[in-house]
Amino acid sequence: MPDTILAVVEQREGKLNRVSWETITAGQAISAATGWPLEAAVVGSGVGQIANEVAAKKLGKVYDIESTKLELYTPDSFAAGLKQFLASKQPKLVLMPHTYQVRDFVPKLATAMGRTVISDCIGFKNEGGKLAFTRQMFQGKLAADVSFTSDAPWFVTFQNGSFRGDKAEAGASAAPVETVNVEIADGVIRNKPQEVFKEAKQAVDLTQAEVIVAVGRGIKEQKNIEMAKQLADALGGDLAASRPICDSGWLPMDRQIGSSGQTVAPKLYLALGISGAIQHIVGMKGSRAIIAVNKDSEAPIFEIADYAVVGNLFDIVPPLIEEVKKAKAGG
Amino acid sequence: MKILVCMKQVPQKDAPLKLNESGTWIREDVSYEVNEPDAYALEEALRQREKHKGEVVVITSGPARAQQVLREALAKGADRAIHLEDDKFVGLDAFNTAKAIAAAIKDEQFDLILTGLQSDDYGYAQTGVILAELLGWPHATIIMQIEKNDGGIRVKRELEAGYFQFVDIPTPAVLTIQSGINKLRYATLIGIKQAKNKPLRKVPLAEVESAVGENLQKIERLYIPQKTKKTEHLDGPPAEVAKKLVDKLKNELRIL
Amino acid sequence: MLVFRKPIEGVERPQMPADVVIVGGGPAGMACALRLSQLIDAHNAAHPDAQLSKENIYVLEKAREVGQHCLSGALLDPRAMRELLPGFEKEAPLDAQVTKEAVYFLTEKSKFKLPITPPPLRDHGNYVISLNRFVKWLGGKVEETGITIFTGFAGSELLYDADRVVGVQTDDKGVDKEGHPKSNFEPGYDLQAKVVILAEGPRGSLTKQLIQRFGLTKNANPQTYGVGVKELWEVPAGRIAPGEVIYTLGWPLTTKEYGGAWIYGSKDNVVSLGFVTGLDYPDPRLDPQRVLQQFKRHPFAAKLLEGGKMIRYGAKSLPYGGWWALPPLAGNGWMITGDSAGFVNSARLKGIHLAIKSGMLAAETAFDALLKDDFSAAMLSSYQKKVESSWIKEELWKVRNMHQGFEHGLYAGMFHTGLQMITGGRGVRNRYPGKAGYQQMRPLADLPADGGEDARLLGPAKGDGKLTFDKLTDLYHSGTKHEEDQPAHLVIHDTNICNARCVKEFGSPCQNFCPANVYEMVDDSTQPNGKRISLNPSNCVHCKTCDIQDPYQIITWVPPEGGGGPNYDGM
Repeated sequence: MPDTILAVVEQREGKLNRVSWETITAGQAISAATGWPLEAAVVGSGVGQIANEVAAKKLGKVYDIESTKLELYTPDSFAAGLKQFLASKQPKLVLMPHTYQVRDFVPKLATAMGRTVISDCIGFKNEGGKLAFTRQMFQGKLAADVSFTSDAPWFVTFQNGSFRGDKAEAGASAAPVETVNVEIADGVIRNKPQEVFKEAKQAVDLTQAEVIVAVGRGIKEQKNIEMAKQLADALGGDLAASRPICDSGWLPMDRQIGSSGQTVAPKLYLALGISGAIQHIVGMKGSRAIIAVNKDSEAPIFEIADYAVVGNLFDIVPPLIEEVKKAKAGG
Repeated sequence: MKILVCMKQVPQKDAPLKLNESGTWIREDVSYEVNEPDAYALEEALRQREKHKGEVVVITSGPARAQQVLREALAKGADRAIHLEDDKFVGLDAFNTAKAIAAAIKDEQFDLILTGLQSDDYGYAQTGVILAELLGWPHATIIMQIEKNDGGIRVKRELEAGYFQFVDIPTPAVLTIQSGINKLRYATLIGIKQAKNKPLRKVPLAEVESAVGENLQKIERLYIPQKTKKTEHLDGPPAEVAKKLVDKLKNELRIL
Repeated sequence: MLVFRKPIEGVERPQMPADVVIVGGGPAGMACALRLSQLIDAHNAAHPDAQLSKENIYVLEKAREVGQHCLSGALLDPRAMRELLPGFEKEAPLDAQVTKEAVYFLTEKSKFKLPITPPPLRDHGNYVISLNRFVKWLGGKVEETGITIFTGFAGSELLYDADRVVGVQTDDKGVDKEGHPKSNFEPGYDLQAKVVILAEGPRGSLTKQLIQRFGLTKNANPQTYGVGVKELWEVPAGRIAPGEVIYTLGWPLTTKEYGGAWIYGSKDNVVSLGFVTGLDYPDPRLDPQRVLQQFKRHPFAAKLLEGGKMIRYGAKSLPYGGWWALPPLAGNGWMITGDSAGFVNSARLKGIHLAIKSGMLAAETAFDALLKDDFSAAMLSSYQKKVESSWIKEELWKVRNMHQGFEHGLYAGMFHTGLQMITGGRGVRNRYPGKAGYQQMRPLADLPADGGEDARLLGPAKGDGKLTFDKLTDLYHSGTKHEEDQPAHLVIHDTNICNARCVKEFGSPCQNFCPANVYEMVDDSTQPNGKRISLNPSNCVHCKTCDIQDPYQIITWVPPEGGGGPNYDGM
């Protein structure tokens, strides 16, 4: 059987988790590098619609892995169902997004098959025909290229944001969809999951934010933070701050970014009036894009910024908020 | 309730790290500390024991220096400790580490095994889940809360974006614990003194060697991530800069 | 609103009896514990039916790990260690043996090597060490002998019964910023000790309490101090040989300031360098961290460091007062060792060997006291006698007037020092009086607005990020960390003085003399001068400079929650 790549997308309660498009992009990239054909799979009960959605992308085939026992997510059912499928299909590489749900079952699945997972990867390398997967270690301080020394299937999960979901190539025509019914015996499922619910979190978890607008000393007074909040809201992001702002009590401690606060790596970090002391930088330099606004042209933050605006943030932010709102409205 | 807490010793959070000669691992001459999520797992175990009586046992695998983590756990109130002691344990992957742990505890009967949700050095988030599969036990990950109920436990699982879920699980079970769920207790002077006399069982590599196999994955290289950053300056009157920024956000960063 | 740390009232504190409590796990404390253990072991071997126990002998160390708060150049004179552990050179972590010394006088662009290295600065036979690693090793030996070292616990108060010291209270843990117990609150223990041996390092907080309570220093010279600001660097191979020792005087200081730099070559291309500034300078705007950055810009230092990388930063005060500034060393239930007493030879710039020796002598005294079960002042005064008849006195007597001679500037100091060297330390009189350093600080009104020739030493350093650094960047490399939610441990007894008087009179020198950016004056329109004192206590590196140097003497440094502080790995 030729080596194939299988991208397993994630669905929750019948809806495709959008991060799955990143997994498809990853699969397409690895396919291009190795020449191995790409296929996809969705796991659930009555999820044919999702399979069709995925089939619009450029890949060989989509498998709709079905069982009524897969209606609610449990690690037992998902591991059992996929194991059955993989044991017969034997792909070379199995890709998944590194979501909370995937973390919950894929190590179990791999272990049940006597295999291993390289998790939370941010990229891959194909050097001299050898595949290696890049991941961050020591909280981003170092990077590692990790390879498999075991037999296939090889399991890999990719970090949210490591590939661009919008770059998943569409297929010239829809890929064929094959329904695969799996048998999950009674007694396999031991966990009884209850309803998922949302709760006002006590602490803000900035590590999950995609966009962060952070304020520093340059904001001058507590009342000016409102302006930053408006920008954050307009961008659909979260408000954060450097240490002095939290020390003064202008924002709660759980909004602090830096060596004595949280370490974040969002898609966008917008630093307003932050000088860029090393204590702050270590908490955000892993951000994928950094925009800095500061009136001091020598502020160290500009050394790590992708886009630098040397100027008065009080002049720049209000028109920026307007432009963002316009763009979002479809202007 | 008999609870096992798996704890790991990792380099201190802001320790300056240096690569070893072959570029496959770090040099060991740094300061170490307990993996932060594991400290929360221990705290949770101690609280469960306070509520339901029982025993808290801590286990770690690593060189002699890792004993410090066990000593601190005993000082905080754990009842006994198991140290899988050998330099070679550092190089084992999660799969084999879980196998070693399973072998070391094969004669015990725990109700719960707790681990931190992931380690601060590797960040794989796998060992607990692998251990559950090896033992044939149910498990749940990223747990915020544990309540005893008929037939087992009800746990609160953290999901993304502010969502949570309760799950009922029969015991014995493995749980990986989220960081920051409670306030960590301090070791007291009495606790530190008493820790010296608590049982600490050393398990040499030889004892679990038959269970452990070759690693299934390999670190080819470890390196300092290179960031090629080119800073683009955006100039002009504020209104123009705002437009330029939004343009970048839309077309280059794909945020809007 | 600043809330300052003080012991929580109205809580029941756990009581723990002890025979000996040694406060501080540095060279003095560890040497004391080790010597005591040796004496007890020897005694127990000879008296199987009259055994002494080590169970109730404790060392309290406020750092999370042994050695983490130890900082020095350092050069070790092996004399004391050879007495404590003959053959120690075979197993102790010694980085290099001193092979070459040189003393330079610097001007802005050049340097003049002193043709003869002054005898006190001849270091042949000494070792370049990392005090942090050395103490870690020594601490390991202490633990092997069965003496308990409590790390992460500070001695925060002395316990008294009339004129006796009866124990030590440890720090309260789990107290929030407002001074209220948190859910994980643990009250400090009352360690009831038969004898407390203070080994807290320079300007010890319990030592200060003890001195104040019993008026111990009324007959002594005031203790004077310097602050050492240090950076550890990795440089390209071949720049400096391991064991090469360099001292400098002169630039960037003027004749009005006391101090100089050290550069020691260690192994693995590591260089220890730093600048000690006497804490008796006249201009309150002087910034010791800036002085170090300025020194590095001298072509000689810049060339040494080019292409290198700064890997660690730290600062610590050191006592200069010498023999006449020593307090009484023992009393009812207490003894003082090491830098807490002031055992530093300011001519040789060495104190580690004296700290170790004093620790040993205190241990010998404590041992005798344990045997006789007598911890009175009369019994413990034998420690004073032992010190006076040991080589500690012999060494310190010769330099008893050294630092005082510099009170009137560099040239006067050199004259007096020269004279002292040929008169066995006497100089112009047997005992030179001293003046406390902070009293030398001049109000801004008396000084040129632009600082005059001192301008290069004043105000915060900007740093170029490669050779020189601003304070915050340097501070990051000290690894300092504290529990954030706790009361401020820099106790300012009257913040109105800061806001209403000091701003005008001295220009808030705390912002300058603190090497860790703990003190900041922030804008506050409700204050008479528009500024208010604000603290960043978790930046503190425990150097004690503020306690020493504040011109109004209203700052009392108390230990923060144990476990917090700098991380001087490798320093």
